[in-house]
Amino acid sequence: MERLKAALSYILIIVIILSLAVVLILSVGSDVPKSFMSFFRGIFGSLYGFSEVLVRATPLILAGLGVSIGFRTGFINIGAEGQIYWGAIAVTTTAYLFPGLPALIAIPLGIVAGFVAGGIWALIPGYLKARFGISEVINTIMFNYIAINILGILVRTVLKDPEYPLPMSSKLPDGFIFPLLMYPTRLHLGFLIALIAMVLVYVLMWKSSPGYKLRVVGLNQRASLCSGIPVKKYIVFSSLLSGGFAGIAGVGEIAGIHYKLLEGFSPGFGYVAIIVALLGKNNPFGVTAAGLGIAALQVGSLSMQRQAGVPASISWIIMGSIVLLILARSTLLTFFAEKEKEEKV
Amino acid sequence: MIETGLIAALTAFLSATLRMAMPLTLAGLGETFSEKSGILNIGLEAIMLSGAFFSFIIAFMTQSVLLGVCAGIAGGIAVSSIHAYLSIHCKVNQTIAGLALNFLIMGLTSFLFLIVFGKSTTLPECPVTPKIPIPVLSQIPIVGPVLFNQDLFVYFTFIAIFLAWFFIHRTEWGVSLHAVGENPKAADSAGLNVFRIRYLSTIANGFFGGLAGSYLTLGLLGFFMENITSGKGYIALVVVILGRRNPPGILLAALVVGAAEALQFRMQTAGIPVPSQLFTMFPYVITVLVLFLAVGKSREPSALGIPYIRSRR
Amino acid sequence: MKDIDKYFFGKAANDKVSLEVKPGEIHALLGENGAGKTTLMNILYGIYQRDGGRITWKGEEIHFGSPREAIDNRIGMVHQHFMLVPTLTVSQNITLGLKSEGHPFPNRRSIDEKIRELLSAYNVHISPTDKVSSLSVGGEQWVEIIKLLYRNAELLILDEPTAVLTPQETERLFRVLEKLRQEGHSVIIITHRIPEVLEITDRVTILRDGRNVATVHTSETDSVELSHYMIGRELKTISRTPNTVSPQEEGLGLDELTVEENGRSVLGPLSLSVRKGEMIGIAGVDGNGQKYLAEAVLGVRDCSAGKVRLLGGDVSSASIQKRKDMGLGYIAEDRQNDALIMDMDMRENVLLRMYSKREYVKTGFIKYANVDETAKEMIETYNIKTAGLGKPVRYLSGGNQQKLILARELAGSPPVIIAFHPTRGLDIGATEFVRQKLLERRASGSSILLISSDLDEIFALSDRIAVLFHGKIMAVLENDGNVDVNYLGRLMAGESAESGSNSRRVE
Repeated sequence: MERLKAALSYILIIVIILSLAVVLILSVGSDVPKSFMSFFRGIFGSLYGFSEVLVRATPLILAGLGVSIGFRTGFINIGAEGQIYWGAIAVTTTAYLFPGLPALIAIPLGIVAGFVAGGIWALIPGYLKARFGISEVINTIMFNYIAINILGILVRTVLKDPEYPLPMSSKLPDGFIFPLLMYPTRLHLGFLIALIAMVLVYVLMWKSSPGYKLRVVGLNQRASLCSGIPVKKYIVFSSLLSGGFAGIAGVGEIAGIHYKLLEGFSPGFGYVAIIVALLGKNNPFGVTAAGLGIAALQVGSLSMQRQAGVPASISWIIMGSIVLLILARSTLLTFFAEKEKEEKV
Repeated sequence: MIETGLIAALTAFLSATLRMAMPLTLAGLGETFSEKSGILNIGLEAIMLSGAFFSFIIAFMTQSVLLGVCAGIAGGIAVSSIHAYLSIHCKVNQTIAGLALNFLIMGLTSFLFLIVFGKSTTLPECPVTPKIPIPVLSQIPIVGPVLFNQDLFVYFTFIAIFLAWFFIHRTEWGVSLHAVGENPKAADSAGLNVFRIRYLSTIANGFFGGLAGSYLTLGLLGFFMENITSGKGYIALVVVILGRRNPPGILLAALVVGAAEALQFRMQTAGIPVPSQLFTMFPYVITVLVLFLAVGKSREPSALGIPYIRSRR
Repeated sequence: MKDIDKYFFGKAANDKVSLEVKPGEIHALLGENGAGKTTLMNILYGIYQRDGGRITWKGEEIHFGSPREAIDNRIGMVHQHFMLVPTLTVSQNITLGLKSEGHPFPNRRSIDEKIRELLSAYNVHISPTDKVSSLSVGGEQWVEIIKLLYRNAELLILDEPTAVLTPQETERLFRVLEKLRQEGHSVIIITHRIPEVLEITDRVTILRDGRNVATVHTSETDSVELSHYMIGRELKTISRTPNTVSPQEEGLGLDELTVEENGRSVLGPLSLSVRKGEMIGIAGVDGNGQKYLAEAVLGVRDCSAGKVRLLGGDVSSASIQKRKDMGLGYIAEDRQNDALIMDMDMRENVLLRMYSKREYVKTGFIKYANVDETAKEMIETYNIKTAGLGKPVRYLSGGNQQKLILARELAGSPPVIIAFHPTRGLDIGATEFVRQKLLERRASGSSILLISSDLDEIFALSDRIAVLFHGKIMAVLENDGNVDVNYLGRLMAGESAESGSNSRRVE
């Protein structure tokens, strides 16, 4: 009975979302079947379209993995955006410091640098939370803005490309640039790294002892304490991991897409990653699926805009609605469960 | 001659600072009510954006600023009600609900804007509230034009700050509000209706937030475009913390942020090569410091973000 | 209140309980924990709804649906957990939720005056403008009481009022209660402490296991009779082999162990030595320091003074992990919060104790094969009924959950075991099983500290019995089959150990 109710509620959500989409499409005066067709054709209809989904999913998956680790340990990481920025800064700085390195060394180095930078940026709020109990929610939001501004300063001063008047760094040395996986698409090494990260996170969290302890701390701090796990240390550890993976997302965007450090390269990836983690139920495979799903939603919406005239902002509406419905769903379910309990007693 | 030039520049700077600080102040005021009752609304951005959009649309169509303001307020309350329902009734994670609302409203307002106006290169404009100088007072050098030659929104905000302060610190309603956010169980057993007070405070949040958004379009800019609030809602959250959830403090904090912004513009137009980001970063760094220093004095309402579940058997 | 019934999940918390209180009387509601005292008062106060019986107040039948209604009818209750807002002042807390004159713009000054008068009338040295956060626990209780008086309560119900007070503060409270009585107020005190009942009350109603035992005039009874009413039971036959091997080696030692909280000593100084192959039962009513004792030995709570010794070695500053490695097994009282991760499956819960052992974790990776094997062994040995190794332990019954904890903690025969309410919430079969296992461990030489508020259990299993009251050990008795239960009851209720008894006292 439980399973049936759960399935029904998901079906209901899907129905509501589809109806919403139809209403929105009609309100612009577009043709519904045509819009849906263009949506799917945008994703599956061409190699480029499909590759775009993977390209857009890359930072979402990486940052989403990071956020999900945090969530599992009770560390609410709203600062993924800032950690992404720091990852970008780190890889650029590293590239500047060691421009001549061959790709075999440069690329892993860049990734590690991004991991460390993002990790440290998350570690500060993590430490403040573990030691002083300061809420990481507002703290991490602050750190986002600070990171964005620091990047703004850096691309205008230290890291600025002397040959262009615009605030951005010069092109990354070839060693650090992520090779393309499929020419002539934009699909780059970052996607592979995202998949590797997905497996890594799985192994870490479910097969290793530190990952086990992280999960225990996230589920029941008191029992962790009573069984000898140093809770505070693990909260800090989780923040480090969380920021680290988000940092790698930043590396991927710079080394794989833009090839230089510039402002605004992230249209809110860090925030969307939170939704991705939630939809993926904080499970690495779910996060990957959710990342792909959201990316597909965005690519399909762009196609819908080009071919059927439906504004691409529909993707944000759909995404926000899905989350809200899922949130409300648990209430409706428990509401029914409680009614049953009352009748039994 | 230099002196008058300097004074004029200073006056203009302060005046601009004040005006820029207004949306933050109003939004921060609304969020203060909400947070004091225990509801954390990360979706403040959505409320402001909603207010900005609906006030613009109605003002554009009716050419009436007043109706626009009403629409903006309504838009803000509509969004905050959704958040209220999710937080109070469904008892969900308030942070996630707020974030989702931000995305939803951002998409919705962009979408609706495109439907109504289509894609045009010139931004449609709407009537703007005029400045109303207060006789005599506005003649005082520097202070006069800055404080007393502003539009109605600004004057309203001043009054609102005072009323809010009075409400919170001098009335029994304020005490009840405080109790609900600190120890809802105690408030409940004292006979206060925790749920009702929380709903009312989120309506206040929507009211002021929507008003803040309206000021953005009808007071400051005169037009609307996609994502016009661009993060001001998040900044308002900062203002609330910096201002210690105390209305006059919120005004001051908003002025600090507003000053940083105004300074940034000045420097850009003056062509000074110092990165303006140093200034825009300033308020956030201060907030982190404030959070750090306030450790132990536990300044936030103890029940903030925690849904109230009444256990009765 | 007449013939009040109250059922929770099919079990009677109150079974035809009756209570009668006269005006101008201080009436004690006496009983052990779980006797149904608080439940009865919660029914009166409108927090719970009764399932049967009648309540009359001042001659009229009443039925309160919420505390608000009770307050409006001049009945007030001070709960064990105070309902105060720390960041507000005393005066604001007292008037919280009330529409004072001039609402919503209260005349703070005149209200403060009124409250100041009230406070000084009862000799309470607190200012109405003090913030509640600056008060001591005793001070907070005064605020709660004055809150009731401000609302003109005629009947005051105090739930374990002296639990948080020092002896001096208790004295002051009693003076105030006497004054209230003189003024015609009625007071019901819920308590389990006999000396206080004898000192201040007019009449006593004793409850046991949800039923009335007796109602007597305080002046006509004594502590012997009261403890008999409160605890009196027949001793069941013990099937426990006396400790034949009596090695003098110590397994667990506590040396002047002291635990403080908020500046007050809540435990100790306490000294105790548990020999190898010996089980010492800590008897006492819940809330007398048992939790602090268990936590201090485990290492979750720091001791402010004194030492804890495991197998002769000082572990007072050792981490919990270290103590576990040295051989400490801990059976927690709250299995859902302290010992189990409800949403994890059996293997991962077993791992909770094992994660530091080489055979289960190698170079950071968990060898689930070994974990599974161990888990399967445990299921067999302890006969745990489970739907599968991979299902969350949430779905196990309470008894099976406890078996899992036992299996896990007792694996490897730890030389020192703390069993804190090991059979709480278990049915008879599971209870027997747990006790059996503990006796087995004892027979094989483990030192066991059994903390339980179930006297049957203490008698059935312990070699010696230590009574804990207000964080101190009142006496240690040899459990030789001749223990005077009433004497024990009086010790548990706070009487000092001097008054005569037939039991052999040790130490």
